Amino acid sequence: MSENEETPENRLRKELPEEVEAPATAAEGAEKSSEPTPGLTGRQRLAKGVWPPRVTRAQLIVAVLLFGLGFGLAVQVASNSDSDSALRGARQEDLVRILDELDDRTQRLEDEKQGLEKQRDELENSSDQAEEARKQTVEKEGQLGILAGTVAAQGPGITMTIDDTKGTVEADMLLDAIQELRAAGAEAIQVNGVRVVAGTYLTDSDKSVSVDGNKINAPYRFKVIGKPEDLEPALNIPGGVVQTLEKEQATVTVERSNKIVVDALRAAKQPDYARSSSQ
Amino acid sequence: MIAVLGLVVGVVAGILVRPEVPAVVEPYLPIAVVAALDAVFGGLRAMLDGIFDDKVFVVSFLSNVVVAALIVFLGDKLGVGAQLSTGVVVVLGIRIFSNAAAIRRHVFRA
Repeated sequence: MSENEETPENRLRKELPEEVEAPATAAEGAEKSSEPTPGLTGRQRLAKGVWPPRVTRAQLIVAVLLFGLGFGLAVQVASNSDSDSALRGARQEDLVRILDELDDRTQRLEDEKQGLEKQRDELENSSDQAEEARKQTVEKEGQLGILAGTVAAQGPGITMTIDDTKGTVEADMLLDAIQELRAAGAEAIQVNGVRVVAGTYLTDSDKSVSVDGNKINAPYRFKVIGKPEDLEPALNIPGGVVQTLEKEQATVTVERSNKIVVDALRAAKQPDYARSSSQ
Repeated sequence: MIAVLGLVVGVVAGILVRPEVPAVVEPYLPIAVVAALDAVFGGLRAMLDGIFDDKVFVVSFLSNVVVAALIVFLGDKLGVGAQLSTGVVVVLGIRIFSNAAAIRRHVFRA
């Protein structure tokens, strides 16, 4: 601003003395002589200064300075109004403060975002885990149900029919057969509509056999799920179940099948005394 | 008359040219403009009082501008630029008002 002022003023000063010096001093003298005149009011002086226009040194200098003022004013107003963002006119320290605040805000929002993402991940994980646990529970329920006899089972296996016309088959022979089948990997067994489970017991009851208190009569039909290639040889080994039964005049037939259905069920029973020690 | 013409021409030139304000003088331009306004009002009052002197006007105009810019510059260096420029604007505003009051008394006799 001040440089803007000085250059035109210096130029004026250089060129002025050549032509205007004498009139200028005259004008100044005239002005000075007009100054003391007491009758002139301020309003008259203003009118006199404005009209008629006189090219005096004072007027020129003031004009140059006012030109500078007007120029600066217009430039400043223009630069202030055309920048719609308030940041343009802001001072450096204000800008730094605004930047700091924005940084803080960004940081806060970033933290919040991380927290929320973590929470989301946890929720997703926990729901995944719950789903997985549920699946495993269902699977285990199926496995345990087959063992406990509470669900029906199907799969490859064998059917063994023991026809006992003479009534010589006793409970211990059937028990031997069951043991043999279990040793050969039988997974589900039923005899004449009674599911054989861990707690199954067999007793003799005149001319027939009771399984878990249910009396069953010949012919005894065993439905066994397991690997047929293991089960059948296990029964047929020399001195094994089949030979022993045939010695007692019973006829035994063993058939392999790709689909054995063991559908005799047993109610789930809550044990009275035994409790799981893992919980 | 010539002086008023100069002001008008300056405003028109500023609007038409629209120069980019250099970043160095940007903080000082508003203060300098206010200081120059103060000098102009002072000069007008002096003219109405009949004691106007062009030399005094030139010196007061330039020194006002320079001192105002200097104060803001110093304030910026001291870290109180915003407060100091506010102070300068307040002081100059008070002076402009008192000068305007004197001018009003001359022109309207009230």
